[in-house]
Amino acid sequence: MKYLLFLLTITLLTFQGCSTKQATSELNPEQVQTDSNTSDTFQQNTPDDQGTNNHIEEFEEEFSEQETDTTTDPFNSYNRWMTSFNDKVIIYALNPVSEGYAYVIPQPLRVGISNFLDNLKFPVRFVNNLLQGKFQNSSDELERFIINSTVGLAGLMDPATNVMTTPIPAHNEDFGQTLGHYGMGSGYHIVLPFLGPSNVRDILGITGDMYLSPLVNVRGLENYKIPKNFGQSVGIYTLYLINRTSLHLGEYESLKEDAIDLYPFLKDIYEQKRISDIAE
Amino acid sequence: MLKKILILLLLSVASLNAIEEQNIQKVMDTKVRQVLDVLKNKTLSQQQKDTKNVRTVDEVFDYNIMSQISLGKRWKSLTKNEKTQFSKAFEKKIKHSYLDKLRLYNNEKVIIKKLKKIKPTRITLETQVIGVDDTYKVIYLFYKKKQNNQWYIYDVELVGVSIIQTYRKQFSEFLKTKSVNQLIKSL
Repeated sequence: MKYLLFLLTITLLTFQGCSTKQATSELNPEQVQTDSNTSDTFQQNTPDDQGTNNHIEEFEEEFSEQETDTTTDPFNSYNRWMTSFNDKVIIYALNPVSEGYAYVIPQPLRVGISNFLDNLKFPVRFVNNLLQGKFQNSSDELERFIINSTVGLAGLMDPATNVMTTPIPAHNEDFGQTLGHYGMGSGYHIVLPFLGPSNVRDILGITGDMYLSPLVNVRGLENYKIPKNFGQSVGIYTLYLINRTSLHLGEYESLKEDAIDLYPFLKDIYEQKRISDIAE
Repeated sequence: MLKKILILLLLSVASLNAIEEQNIQKVMDTKVRQVLDVLKNKTLSQQQKDTKNVRTVDEVFDYNIMSQISLGKRWKSLTKNEKTQFSKAFEKKIKHSYLDKLRLYNNEKVIIKKLKKIKPTRITLETQVIGVDDTYKVIYLFYKKKQNNQWYIYDVELVGVSIIQTYRKQFSEFLKTKSVNQLIKSL
């Protein structure tokens, strides 16, 4: 019996080896070529190049269509400066503090805090889904808020996602997305201190959402708001930021490694993400 | 013993069937699971994990086409030698970046959601990564290679951000002021 199993394993392994080899040579002629000497490379390269030319033209069209706009960037030099300022804040302040925070506070509690703060921002998501005519999403959000605020112990837990047999999905929408939904362009790219990449439309969006979010103090709406002054708003935001970073340690550094030049890289990522958020 | 053989059997089936249209979803499902199993395996060293994971994705990622798209129109103006060098450097960069992201793995779950045929030669596979406090949408973009009618990944979209598009942008900015050789070196 053991002998038979051994034989079977060997056979399978052999076949597996064959198939992988075949696949790679089909897939990646240039990679294989680089292992052999260079005089071969030139000969083999030509037919492959012609074959992929058709593909390439299609891809060229596909990718240039989706390109984000880079032509107008009047705040370029300010944005660059602010990007490196934010970068230093993240590397020298936010990350070390978040690491210490993660060390002291166990992960389940940090997830709880994250859930709690997210739950409180319910009005922002609810209203913006409504404004975009996404009524099913608004009702999902309302359901989530009711379930998580009660069964989920004031939002510390997220039973709407984790316990329900059919999870109710969250629908993150903000006022910037609402403006985009109705056709407003992004406007110039502006990097904000501490908040990071943004643009004219999204700054308007943030301003609008400040009125809706119970976590930001606005004069005249004190009864609805949790922080009683600007200082407390900043405090809550700082907690939010540290808590969030503590759940995503190392991600910023890893992302940064993909950049040749940090500012245009972050700008492109931000604009691409917003376009896709709005399209959703 | 029997368990091991079963696993081997599963693995060989997956790689034998690689990337025909009807089994994109199945192949990707197995591959995702393979990668997650490797990441969760505490007996492997980081280097062992890296080599295993690269091997798993190698046959579905078309690094060659990725490097061409990322350079855009400039690709044609390169000499043969530069093309080879660039492709090689780009492949290394992509793999490095991919492995670097995998190192951040923190018990995320992956759900394969839906396959969509956008054009006769394009298919997207939507997956969802469930992290501790958030879920992310990851879309794999496949194209059909005319030479062998097989499907390969040419781009990955993470939360709406296309990886290849991001490189395209960066490279075109870089090449405005610097040469291709400098670009190859900086990768």
